[in-house]
Amino acid sequence: MFIHLAGAVSSGIGFARAEADDNMKLQLSNETVRVSDIRELNANNSNEFRDQVRASMSASQRFIEIDLSDTTFLDSCGLGALIALHKTTCSRNGLVRLLNPTPPVQQILELTRMHRIFEVVRR
Amino acid sequence: MVASPIQTNQGKSLDVAFSCDYFEVRTAVETVMGFLRDNHLSDDEIMGCELAVAEACNNAIRYSGESGGRLRIQLRAFCSTSQVMFWVHDHTKGFEWPAKIELPPEDSETGRGLYLMTSLMDKVHYFRGREQNILYLSKKRGAMAVPQEVVDPESREELIRRLAENDQIITDMAEELSFCYESLAAIFRHSAEQGKGTTKAEFSRRLLNDLIQIVSADWYVLRLLPEHGNSLNFVVASESLFSEQPIPLQNPETVVHPVEEEAVLTRQNVWFDQSRPLAPTDPLGRVKPGANGVVHPIFFGERLMGTLVLGRNLTRVPFTAGQLNVVGTFSDFLAIQFVNAEIQESLISGRLTERELEIARTIQRSLLLQELPVVPGMKLVSHCESARQVGGDFFDVLEYSEDEVLLVIADVMGKGVPAAMFAAILRSLIRALPRRNQSPGELLYRANQLLFTELSSVDMFITAQLVLVNHKTRTAIVGSAGHCPALITNSDGSEVSSLTPDGMPLGILLDTEYDDIEVPFEHGARLLVYTDGIPETRNRAGEQFSFPRLAEWLKESTRNARSPEAMKTEIIEELARFQQDDVLQDDLTFLLLAG
Repeated sequence: MFIHLAGAVSSGIGFARAEADDNMKLQLSNETVRVSDIRELNANNSNEFRDQVRASMSASQRFIEIDLSDTTFLDSCGLGALIALHKTTCSRNGLVRLLNPTPPVQQILELTRMHRIFEVVRR
Repeated sequence: MVASPIQTNQGKSLDVAFSCDYFEVRTAVETVMGFLRDNHLSDDEIMGCELAVAEACNNAIRYSGESGGRLRIQLRAFCSTSQVMFWVHDHTKGFEWPAKIELPPEDSETGRGLYLMTSLMDKVHYFRGREQNILYLSKKRGAMAVPQEVVDPESREELIRRLAENDQIITDMAEELSFCYESLAAIFRHSAEQGKGTTKAEFSRRLLNDLIQIVSADWYVLRLLPEHGNSLNFVVASESLFSEQPIPLQNPETVVHPVEEEAVLTRQNVWFDQSRPLAPTDPLGRVKPGANGVVHPIFFGERLMGTLVLGRNLTRVPFTAGQLNVVGTFSDFLAIQFVNAEIQESLISGRLTERELEIARTIQRSLLLQELPVVPGMKLVSHCESARQVGGDFFDVLEYSEDEVLLVIADVMGKGVPAAMFAAILRSLIRALPRRNQSPGELLYRANQLLFTELSSVDMFITAQLVLVNHKTRTAIVGSAGHCPALITNSDGSEVSSLTPDGMPLGILLDTEYDDIEVPFEHGARLLVYTDGIPETRNRAGEQFSFPRLAEWLKESTRNARSPEAMKTEIIEELARFQQDDVLQDDLTFLLLAG
C-alpha cells in the first residue's frame, strides 16, 4: 500500500525554477518509492530530481517506480538522473521501473537504447 | 530572454538570446518550438528538434567556464518549406568535437548529448573559435510541410522590408563566401604547383601567404614534426623574427614550455594574447608586445604533422570561428600535400611500402561520400572498389538544386597516387563550379578549360560523365567526356538506351565542346553510370563481360523490379563469377539510380 506524501515531500520538477513548482509527487511503500507528476526532466532540474528521490529512500526501499505519463520532455541530463537512480537500486538488489512513458520520452529511451536497461511498464 | 522574428523570401527566422543558465534554455527552446509550430512542422518533427536544440544549448552552457558564462547565448532558428536550421552561437571556451560519436557505456550518466543531436538531425557541424563557437544543426522537412503564408509582394512596406533583409543576407553570405572562394582558388592554384619541383618550404610559403590574407593575419610560422621525431623543425615563416632552431619536445631542462610544444602535447589549439603573453624565451617571443594569435596543430588522420602559428600585431581582435575553420582547411590541405610528397619521394627511391600506399588510399577514400544524398521518390546506390591500393576512379553525388541531383563518375587515366590526386582535384573543381543553370556539358567544358594545362603537362587525361537528374520532372540530362555510355531503361525494362553524348576526355583538347542528351526517366526505370572496369572484366579465356551483356542484365533487373541494393550485390557477384577469380583486375565503380 502506498502512503501519499504529496506536499510533505515535494520538489521543483517541471518547467520552472526549482523553488517555484510543487508538481512532483513521491509515494513511499515498504520496498518501493513511486514518483509521479513529472512534467520535465531536463538539465535544469535533473540533479535535484535525483537527489530528492534518493533522499526519500529509506534503507529498506530498493524499487523505484517512475510514472512518466505526464512527462513531455526528457533530455540527456534527465536520462543521466534515471541512470543514477538505476545504479542506486541495483546496489540494493532492486530496480527502476518506468511507467507509461509518453511518445517523446519513449523516443529518447529507444534512441539511446535505454529501454533495454530499464523495465518499461504500460498499465 | 529576447526573441526577434524575421521573414525573408526563403523562409522565416527567429533569433533568441538568453543568459548562460539551464533554466533559460528551456524558455528559449520552448519559444523556438512555438515558432516551428507556427510554421506547420509536425509534432514528430518538433519533438526531434526540441531535444536536439536543447542538447546543443545545454552543451554551450556546460563548457562555458567562468568568463563565458557572462555573455549571452544566441539561438537562431530558420524555417523554410523544405528544411529547418539552427545555429547556437556561444562565447565560451567550447569543447573538442570527438572524431567519432558513439553511445557511452550503458551505466554512464553523461555523454549522450552529441549522440542525440547527430541521431535526430541530418547535419550537425561545430565551428570552434576563440571563446566563440557555433553549433549548426539542420533537418529536412517531411511531407507535412505547407507553403509559407502569402504576403502581398507588391506592398511598399513589404518591398522595403525585403530589401533590408536581402542586404543583411548578402552581407552575411559575402563574408562566408569570400572565405570559401579564396580558399578554393588558393588551394587549386597550389595543387597545380605541387609536383612541379617546388620545395616543401616554397610550396608552404606561397600557400600560407594566401592564408594570412584571407584570415587577416600579419604573420605565420610553420614547423613540422618528422614521423617518429622528437622535435618540431622549422620550415618557413613570414618574417625572420622567429627562432629557426628545432624545438625539442618534453625537454626536462625547459622551464617555460613554448606554445608550439604545448599545442603538440595537448593536440589542441593554443591561444596567446595580452592576457596570456608569450614568454621572452619562447621561439615566437620576439613578436611585438600585445600580439595575439593561435597555434594550430596540423593532423593527417591521427598523425600529428606539425604546428602552424598565425598572429596579429595591430589588433586585439582574436580570430573568429569562421576564420579558424579556414585555417583548419588549409592545414588539412598542407598535411595531405606533405604526406603525398613523402609518398612521391618513396616512389622515386623505389621504397613505396604497403603502409604508405594505404595512406594514399586514405586520401582517396576521404573523397568518397560517407552517405549518399536522398533523392526524393528515387533510390540511389553506389560502389567504388580499386584494383590496386590507389585507383583513379571516383564518383560523387551533389544536390544541385532543389529538384536536381548531379551524378558524377570519372576515371583518371592510369593508377596510383597521381591518378588519385587528379581525381581529388576534379571532384573539388566540380563541387566549386557555379551552379546557375549549367548543363552537364557546360560543366565539363569549364572543367576541361581549368584542368587542361595541368593534365596535358603530365600527359594524363580523365574520362568523366555527369548526369543531372530532375526528380520532379523525371528527366535526366547526360554529358560525357569520352566516358563509357550511360545506360537507362524504360519503366518496364522492355528497352534500354545507351547514351553517348559527344565530347573528348578532359585534358586532350583545350576547346572541346560537350553535348548534352536529355531523356525521360520514368517511374520504375533504372539508370546505370559506371567505369570501364565493368564491361571490360575478362574471364580466363580472355572474353570480356561486354557492354551488351551489361545492358541485357539491366533490362532484366528492371523487368523483375529488383531493388537497387539487390542489383548492386548481384552485379558484383556476377562479375566475380564471370572472371572466375576473386582478385579484381580493374577498378569497379558505379552509381545505380532507380526511378
